[in-house]
Amino acid sequence: MDNSTYVSLSLATAMHNALDVTANNIANANTAGFKGERVVFDSYLHRETGVDESRNTEFLIDQGSYMNPEQGAMSRTGNPLDLALQGDSWFGYETSDGRTAYGRDGRFALDPNGALVTLSGAKVLDAGGAPISLPPDLGGEVSISQDGTISTLTGGVIGRVGLFDLPDLQSYERIGSGMFVPPEGVDTARPATSGTRVVQGMIESSNVQPVVEMTRLMAIQQAYERALKLVGGEDDLTRDMLRRIGSVT
Amino acid sequence: MKALGIAATGMLAQQTNVDVISNNIANANTTGFKSSRAAFQDLIYETVRREGSLTSEAGTARPTGVDIGFGVETAGTVRLNTQGGLMATENQLDLAIDGRGFFAVNLPDGGQAYTRDGAFQLSSEGQLVTMQGYELDPGIVVPDNTTQVEISEQGVVMAYVGGDPTPVELGRITMSTFTNEAGMRQLGSNLLEATTASGDAVPANPGDEGIGILRQGYLENSNVNIIQQITDLISAQRAYEMNSKSLETADQMMTAANQIK
Repeated sequence: MDNSTYVSLSLATAMHNALDVTANNIANANTAGFKGERVVFDSYLHRETGVDESRNTEFLIDQGSYMNPEQGAMSRTGNPLDLALQGDSWFGYETSDGRTAYGRDGRFALDPNGALVTLSGAKVLDAGGAPISLPPDLGGEVSISQDGTISTLTGGVIGRVGLFDLPDLQSYERIGSGMFVPPEGVDTARPATSGTRVVQGMIESSNVQPVVEMTRLMAIQQAYERALKLVGGEDDLTRDMLRRIGSVT
Repeated sequence: MKALGIAATGMLAQQTNVDVISNNIANANTTGFKSSRAAFQDLIYETVRREGSLTSEAGTARPTGVDIGFGVETAGTVRLNTQGGLMATENQLDLAIDGRGFFAVNLPDGGQAYTRDGAFQLSSEGQLVTMQGYELDPGIVVPDNTTQVEISEQGVVMAYVGGDPTPVELGRITMSTFTNEAGMRQLGSNLLEATTASGDAVPANPGDEGIGILRQGYLENSNVNIIQQITDLISAQRAYEMNSKSLETADQMMTAANQIK
C-alpha cells in the first residue's frame, strides 16, 4: 500500500496517545499536588534508497512526554498536617518497598506509631533522608514553619520536613500516587537551596488548567479526524484507480 | 484507546467527591460532626517509552519518556479534626469538649466507641447515656432526687441531692485520645471506633496538658465550613463535566475511525 496511508496512520496513533495523556490530566484536575503531562511530537525521516531525496517520507512519532512543573494554586484545608510548597522544591518520601521517591503532594497523616506518612502510606523524609516521627501524645497538633521546621505548640522543635531540588526532573519516572522515582541508580536530588516556602494548612491544587485541556481535546480530535480523512481519501483514490483500470480490460 | 477508561475513573472520583461534600452539608448542624474531604491521587503509569533508554550506540539516552497515566483514584477521605464552635444550650447535662479528646461510650454489643457529641441524657437507672442510650464510660449514676448537677472543666461531677446544701461527688468523666485521630472509623450516630490506623485509646483527664477541658451547658457544633463546601461542590461538578468531555471526544474519535470505510 502507499506510504501516505501510513503517514496518516502515524498521526492517528500519536493522537491516540495524546488523547490518553490529556484524559489523564483531566481526570486528575482535582488531585492535590498533581502535575500535568504533555506529549511532544517529532518527525521520523524515512529515506528512500536509490531515488532522489525529495521523495523521502516523514512520519510522526510521539518522542516523549514531559511533566509541567508549574506551581499549582493553593487551597485551604485547615488541617495542620496538610502542607503546600510554594517554590520549586519537592518533598521526599520512602515508599513501602523501600524506594526513595519525590513529589509535591503534602497531604500528610500519622500512622499508629506517629510516623508522618502520605495518604498512600509512604513515609515522609527529613532533609537527611530519614523518616519523620511525631511524639504520639501530640495527635498531630503541631506547628510547621515556612522552612519546614516542625515544632510543638509550646515551641519545642521536633524535626524538619525535607525539601529537595531535583535538577533533572524530567528524567524521573512517574509511579502514581503523586510520586516520582529517580531513573535507575542516579538520584540527583539534593537538599533544597531555592528558598521554597512550606505553607501549613493548605494543599497545592493540581496545576491542570481546564481551558487548556479542553482546547487540546478539540485539537486532538480534529487532527485525528483529519488523519482518518486522508486515509479515506487515499482509499477512494485506490478504488477509483482499480475501477478505471478494470473498465479498460 | 484508554481515554474512555481514564475519563470513567475521573467521573467516578468526582461522584465520590460530591457524595462526601453532600454528607458534610447534610451534617452541618450535627453536634460534634467533623467534616471530611475526599483525597485523590493519580493511578499508576504505563511507560510507553522509557526515560534513560539508549537512543544510539554512542550512549546518548532519551531525556524524557512517554508516561501514560491510567486516571485517578480516591486515596481516602480525610477527616478534619479541628474544633467546632461552642453553642450554649443551658442544659446541665450537655457537655462540649474544648480541645483534644473523645468521650468513651459502651456499645450494647460490649464494644467501645468514642464520640465528641456530649448531649447526654439520663437513663431510667439514672445512668449518663448518649442520645442512643449508650452508657458513658466510666459510668456516672445520678441519684433520684438530684436537684442540680455541676460538672467542672476537669470532668468532676458533683450533684446536689435533695435539700442538702453540700454537693456529693458522683465521679469523674475521663477522655480518650489517639495518636492518629484521623484514622478512626466512623460508625454513624456521631460515634467513632478505634482502628489499627488510629492506634489504641490513651486515657486522659480533661484539663491535662494538651487535652481539652469540658464545658457544661454547651454543645460542640460541627466544623463544616459551608462556603468551602459549596465552592468544592461547584469545582467537583465542573471536573465531572470535563471528564465527560474526554469521554465524548474518545467516543467521537472511535466513531470517526469506524467510518473510514
